[in-house]
Amino acid sequence: MRIDVHNLDKKFKSTHAVKDLSFTVEPGRVTGFLGPNGSGKSTTMRLMLGLDSGSGETLYNGKVLTAHDPITKTIGAHLDAKFFHPKRTAHAHLKMLAAESRVSNERIDEVLELVGLESVARKRPGGFSLGMAQRLGLAGAILAEPQVLMLDEPANGLDPQSIQWLRDFLKYYASLGRSVFVSSHLLNEMQLLADDLVVIARGELIASESMPAFLARSKGSSVHIRTPQLEKLQSALRAEGIGVEASGATGLVAMNTTTDHVGDLAFRAGVQLSELTAHTASLEDVFLQLTEGQQDYQVGGSSAESEAVASIDGGAL
Amino acid sequence: MINALVYELRRIRSVRATWIVSALYLASVVAFGALPLYLGSHEVGSAFIQSWKGLYNTPANFFSVVLLSVIAAQSFGHEYRYGTIRLTLSEFPKRERVLIAKTLVLAVYVVVMHFVAWSALGLVGKFAPSGSLNAGAEGFTFNGGAPADLWKVLVYGLAYCLIAFSVAAITRNLALGIVIPLVFASVLEGLINGISTLVHDRLRWLVDILPISNGQSWLSASKELPHAGLVFSIWVVGLLMIATFMFARRDA
Repeated sequence: MRIDVHNLDKKFKSTHAVKDLSFTVEPGRVTGFLGPNGSGKSTTMRLMLGLDSGSGETLYNGKVLTAHDPITKTIGAHLDAKFFHPKRTAHAHLKMLAAESRVSNERIDEVLELVGLESVARKRPGGFSLGMAQRLGLAGAILAEPQVLMLDEPANGLDPQSIQWLRDFLKYYASLGRSVFVSSHLLNEMQLLADDLVVIARGELIASESMPAFLARSKGSSVHIRTPQLEKLQSALRAEGIGVEASGATGLVAMNTTTDHVGDLAFRAGVQLSELTAHTASLEDVFLQLTEGQQDYQVGGSSAESEAVASIDGGAL
Repeated sequence: MINALVYELRRIRSVRATWIVSALYLASVVAFGALPLYLGSHEVGSAFIQSWKGLYNTPANFFSVVLLSVIAAQSFGHEYRYGTIRLTLSEFPKRERVLIAKTLVLAVYVVVMHFVAWSALGLVGKFAPSGSLNAGAEGFTFNGGAPADLWKVLVYGLAYCLIAFSVAAITRNLALGIVIPLVFASVLEGLINGISTLVHDRLRWLVDILPISNGQSWLSASKELPHAGLVFSIWVVGLLMIATFMFARRDA
């Protein structure tokens, strides 16, 4: 099911939380939703679900959400791990959520088993860890096998095995032709998971495109080269307008180019190469470049400790 | 709409607090009903000889009604306290359905609890000490005044619960849904009444529009407050309308 978000806009008293946001979530793909803290991700998700009032609209296969019946067959949302009554058992919680689409008890048991909570199905979730609470939230979202899954930070609190399971599950879910829209701060995880990305900062759209297209925005894509004919290759690269930095006694780093291009230039210049390695920017690199200075709640500051931290991370913070 | 009703029914049934508060409510009704039968004066001519009608008015005693209102306040109070309102509204984006379902389930709950309470009181009366229930006596209630018709007891209980329900929806707070009507009934309205008497009834207009005093006056058919039934109804319907409006318009 395709989701078309048109001109979503939301103002709180003095804060313009979401600014004229438009993007599309395609079926059969996992779409990651990224943004710094306070950038409006959760507000956007609430607007898409009709939980908050604002302007703009969200269409699910061309229709507003309220035109779909039953809703839980259309969309399953997991917005917060702690949205449950601590004294209502996990099974009873899902049984309550099952009312809208009349999901059977067998399906409830199946979903509890799927998320690994079958042994605590009759226990009250007040004592659940964050990871267990996340699983219960996910179980509620997938209960009616909706066409759209909308998850807000579902990997928070999960152990590495569970994160891997979640990644595989969401990919599988999307492979069935369904839409998965998921926000996360775990950028390395998102790079492995998402096919498409929607990136916002301070409520504004920064990017809405496929993962490869987003990564290609990097200013830091480079090619690492080792050659015994350093000066000859350096001249050839500079003559082509390619930025070059020295890297050790026999190494060079060519900026914003590809291995194909450098290999071709070296061949034409008659330069022997002993190493040619592409260094592609990570999602984290590109995300930090594009959202630099756009956080509402910036870390660091000017203390000596902050400067020391920044120097360790190459100033990325 | 049926699905929203099933959802609300499952929500209310699956919380232990519902069963505990219901049991406390029934225990309080039985205790308040039995107390005058076992400990009261049963001498002929005493003003405190209980009648069957008086006994069946016991569910309207203030303590029991407040206990019942806890369930009413939980309808919205629990949802906002634990964030489940967002799950509820994700499943039922048409908010009026949620509100109607909650109101209907609460109404059914109050009716059922009254019938269970009356059945329990029937047993209390059946096994009451000889002479403690006098069919010929007028009987009395814990609110003062003569016993009311049973439909009025039921309507009063439901109306008080709707006030707690609405206050919890407006404030999005379980405790305030219970405490605000309680403080009005037990402290504020008595205080305003007392001050009005002190200032030679110059605040009579305010006394005449107090919600719970008018409700109790209507229940006991007292002539002290004019238009008691109308004023009480306006309060109940007015608060419910404000709750509806705010629930429909505010962010979840």
